[in-house]
Amino acid sequence: MLLLLAWRNLWRRPQRTLLSLLSITLVVALLVCMLSFQRGVYQAMKENTLGVFDGYAQFQPPGYRDDPTIDRSIEHPAAIVRDALAIQGVGAAGARVNGFGILASGARSYGALIAGVEPRSESQLSSIAATVREGRYLNDTDSDAAVLGELLARNLRVAVGDTVSVLGAARDGSVAADVLTVVGIFRSGIPQLDRSILEMPLARAQDAFDMSDRANTIALGGRTLAGVDAALPRLSALGARHGIALLDWQALEPAMRDAIALKYAMSLLLYLTLVAVVAFIILNALLMSVLERTQEFGVLLAVGMRARAIGLMVWLELLTLALSGCALGFLIGAGATLWLERRGISFGSLSQLLAQYGLPPRLHPALDLVSALTGPVAILVAIVLGGMVPYARVARLTALAAMRSA
Amino acid sequence: MTPIIQCRGVERTYTQGAVAVPALRGVDLTIGRGDFATLAGPSGSGKTTLLSVIGGLDRPSAGEILIEGRSIGGLDAAQLAELRLHKIGFVFQSYSLIPVLTALENVEFILRLLGVPRAERLARAREALHQVGLAGLEDRRPARLSGGQQQRVAVARALAPRPALVLADEPTANLDSANAGELIALMQDLNAASGITFLIATHDARVIAHSRRHIEMTDGRITLDESSSPAAA
Ligand SMILES: Nc1ncnc2c1ncn2[C@@H]1O[C@H](COP(=O)(O)OP(=O)(O)OP(=O)(O)O)[C@@H](O)[C@H]1O
Ligand SMILES: [Mg+2]
Repeated sequence: MLLLLAWRNLWRRPQRTLLSLLSITLVVALLVCMLSFQRGVYQAMKENTLGVFDGYAQFQPPGYRDDPTIDRSIEHPAAIVRDALAIQGVGAAGARVNGFGILASGARSYGALIAGVEPRSESQLSSIAATVREGRYLNDTDSDAAVLGELLARNLRVAVGDTVSVLGAARDGSVAADVLTVVGIFRSGIPQLDRSILEMPLARAQDAFDMSDRANTIALGGRTLAGVDAALPRLSALGARHGIALLDWQALEPAMRDAIALKYAMSLLLYLTLVAVVAFIILNALLMSVLERTQEFGVLLAVGMRARAIGLMVWLELLTLALSGCALGFLIGAGATLWLERRGISFGSLSQLLAQYGLPPRLHPALDLVSALTGPVAILVAIVLGGMVPYARVARLTALAAMRSA
Repeated sequence: MTPIIQCRGVERTYTQGAVAVPALRGVDLTIGRGDFATLAGPSGSGKTTLLSVIGGLDRPSAGEILIEGRSIGGLDAAQLAELRLHKIGFVFQSYSLIPVLTALENVEFILRLLGVPRAERLARAREALHQVGLAGLEDRRPARLSGGQQQRVAVARALAPRPALVLADEPTANLDSANAGELIALMQDLNAASGITFLIATHDARVIAHSRRHIEMTDGRITLDESSSPAAA
């Protein structure tokens, strides 16, 4: 009965009800779309940035992050790599030696990171293999081969087929020296990397830097960052067994973590404003309708209906409105998002700018539980809580109004 | 037999800011079962206020009110609501129907508050509408009924719970004289047929002419109380 009354009351002023419904629907749909887009963009940004070289997580020797010297190392990395690959969500793992040294060709010399990598796993962990512009990437049979960044190659004036000499400090403090043949030149699109990285086969790097069966880091990857994130507890346990630290993406890219947190905080402000505005519009409309019905409610009270029951009726009106608005908005928002997710959003001429932020040219919103439900739930909670105001207003009404305001 | 209404020294003073407005200044009144009484008096004399305190919509500042011999002064809001639901029907001046419910639903609604089962509820609501001459208009909403028809629905609603007492505040004020006459005749018939007590506040001379007992108020006091019907004499 109350529900029937609430329902019919809503349709007393169809325009007002439809306007209220529309505003809830719009804002909910907007929130779903915006949050999904935001999460999709950040997801892409994270996966692209981490996918260039870091990996989605890394094992490192204790203290390596703050003081990445070659003598901090992981023993017998192959066993750890094998165990890590057995964990669900981890799709790739590769040991690396990170030596710092001077590269020289002819009269030119530049400092660089000399990374000893396992070509097969490295091509899954890092997009460098896929961005080789000239020549080819390393393969498992290579020995004295090297690939290096485009800017580094230009600075050294080397091309595919040329040799570079490597000079650095080995683990025992002696001089590490080697001569490598350039087999490929890559352009990752990130100038810092293209200017400073040379990759060579792991075994040869272990020889050159006197590492024997050691590595400096083990990079971890998988199909998705979320998958690797979900595997973090088990990875961390694995690391603990070997006395090494596990760094998640936030530890690997603290600047990106902070930037994302800041952006979320700023957009939260916008979202909260939207929620508040809608809640305000709806409650205002409801309060008006309650005030208009003062006499009617007085009659109901006079004939013996309880104020609580009338309050409940008003609250049901609100709930019906809020629920249908949220459901509609959710459907529209989720539908639009899923469509865009499949299609992607292209930014045309802006794609170069996007690349600077580690973003692909087509962005895909990510509809997940968080982005789909945060908006509707926030609106629902705001409206239902705010509904206490008209409810309290009704509870204060007296039957006397029936006699007086005719 | 215990009278249905007894008022003893009832006062009601409204406070408007710092000003005290005495609306009732000591009303003593007894109304017997089955009475058909009218309450008249100039505007502001306290008619509405008296009906309100008798019906438990408002509380007196002093004095005592007994309904069927039971004092209502000690009842809380919920108990007063129960009392109204079971014992007292109200007919207001106008616009007292729920606009989103049909005539039948308006009457049925109050029976639902009483917890009457659905089938009986519908039967009683139909019967009440039939009694007030609205058979065939059950499914109309108030907006599609004339003022007189709306007041008949209000009377049906007041009667459906089979109350002991009906309080009506200017029920004919918004009706033309033909409709007003019909409404009064209807209430009289119902009074005669079912023995329900009626207390009607009104300015309407024709209503007063039909009453068995006539009470007049001035400035919050009862200044005239006469039984004019030969039946009551
Ligand atoms: N809520 C209130 N606050 C202050 N004064 C009030 C209030 N309600 C009524 N009064 C005053 O009480 C007095 C009696 O009012 P009441 O409505 O009972 O008169 P009435 O006889 O019904 O008048 P009418 O014929 O105009 O309906 C009036 O002086 C009125 O101004
Ligand atoms: Mg009055």
